[in-house]
Amino acid sequence: MNNAIQTEIPSQLFQQAQLLIQQGWATNLQEIINEALRRYLDSHQEILTEMFIQEDVEWGLNDQD
Amino acid sequence: MTKTKETLVVADAGVLIHLDELSALDVLNHYEAVFVPHAVWAEVQYHRPQALQHNNIKLIHYPSQPYSAKINALSALFTLHHGESEALSLCLEQSINTLLTDDTAARLAAKNLNLNVHGTLGLLLKSVHYQLRTPLEVLALLKEIPEKTTLHIRPQLLSDIIVKAQTEWKIKS
Repeated sequence: MNNAIQTEIPSQLFQQAQLLIQQGWATNLQEIINEALRRYLDSHQEILTEMFIQEDVEWGLNDQD
Repeated sequence: MTKTKETLVVADAGVLIHLDELSALDVLNHYEAVFVPHAVWAEVQYHRPQALQHNNIKLIHYPSQPYSAKINALSALFTLHHGESEALSLCLEQSINTLLTDDTAARLAAKNLNLNVHGTLGLLLKSVHYQLRTPLEVLALLKEIPEKTTLHIRPQLLSDIIVKAQTEWKIKS
């Protein structure tokens, strides 16, 4: 199932995306947005975020440097 | 005598913005200087210009440099913004071992480069050890994070961290 959303994209990003489409590197804007979102979610998984925060807290409270 | 770079750090935009939102940029005073690459500087200038106007914190605006192939590859792999890429690049170029960032992807990339990484929460907590802030001040700042800042953290996790800090500092809630 797909979900429709409405959002605003900065002009520069929009133009860069349009250029990729014109050059044939992507089929359409939706494909680019889907791929960008997928990559973002891959690299911002909740488990990683929490692990890094816990490490930071350990450093802040216990590390003696 | 050669000056060590142990107290030099590179900052990403998030940490500067979040600390300023808490009026707590002074916790960076532990560091001799905080390098801010141009793309990060521009991002902070756009979102929170006042964060760059504290005379008592030595922020060094560093010009943009071309990325190495390694940084280019990491930037693509971890979908980093320009600022994050410039910050990592600056760490490598200037042999600075510590990056200050709250971004998960930037932290992942920095660990890949064997850099130390600290964020807003760690810096606030550490300021007690460095005697820049009292435990009570830091606990108050931690509690203000949801209302005063754009730092997103799961409420229960923040509560757990506050309890942990209170226990460590032997402060009754």
